[in-house]
Amino acid sequence: MIAWDDCEKCEELLQPFLDRELSDAERAEAERHLEGCGYCRKRYVFEERIRGFVRQAVVEEMPPGLKAKLAALRTPL
Amino acid sequence: MSDVTPQADPRKLAEEARDRVRFEEDALELADQVYRVARRLVSTREEAEDLMQEAYARAFRSWRSFQPGTNLRAWLLRILTNLNIDRGRRVQRSPDMQPLEEGDYFLYNKLEEDGGSAEERVDERLSQDDAVAALSAVPHDFRDVIVLVDIGDFSYADAAQILEIPIGTVMSRLHRGRRILKRELADRAVGSTVG
Repeated sequence: MIAWDDCEKCEELLQPFLDRELSDAERAEAERHLEGCGYCRKRYVFEERIRGFVRQAVVEEMPPGLKAKLAALRTPL
Repeated sequence: MSDVTPQADPRKLAEEARDRVRFEEDALELADQVYRVARRLVSTREEAEDLMQEAYARAFRSWRSFQPGTNLRAWLLRILTNLNIDRGRRVQRSPDMQPLEEGDYFLYNKLEEDGGSAEERVDERLSQDDAVAALSAVPHDFRDVIVLVDIGDFSYADAAQILEIPIGTVMSRLHRGRRILKRELADRAVGSTVG
């Protein structure tokens, strides 16, 4: 049986888990909980999805012409 | 034995010129990636362009302080974030204006409560502009870390070096910043969640 406290702990580990910044022990603890807990698993999958969505939505490519302006700042030979 | 001083040694000068050109070319190669981060550290495209030019001008002037073999993209962004902070482009919020943050499951739970699956709700309810506006609403200190880690793909350790803050501060700002971001997204997806 999964205790509610474990879900709270799992929620705390969500971000460093997805950032691959957990210690091996913490990672194992999160994985053990996720195996048995659909509630947290769905929320982990969703977190990855929302990060991907934000990342894709906010990326703006460099305007044309800026690279030439930067290159013009080089020290002349 | 040559009595030519190292400074005037034509071979040394040629070597230095070659190193500088290589540095400049490497830095320019990274401009697209640096811009993607710069663009989200400031509010407008014009500000991002100015900041890029100031940062590259400084980088080209101080190229000798870059240690070959270390992370050039992080080095460039360190210059850029320092300039951004020094130039006072930040509008600090007073503490009572700090946006609310909720738990990490908050956005998912809000979307589920709203009916249907949370995944579908993201596609239906959140536009690209919503994401940009939600990120812009995150205070600078938190947003800088989110932008470096989530858009710039930097590790916590790199972000700590770039911003010259302890790694523990990176982690706590990232954690809180993403929670604020999700709260902002929830407001846009299901209407204001205040109260």
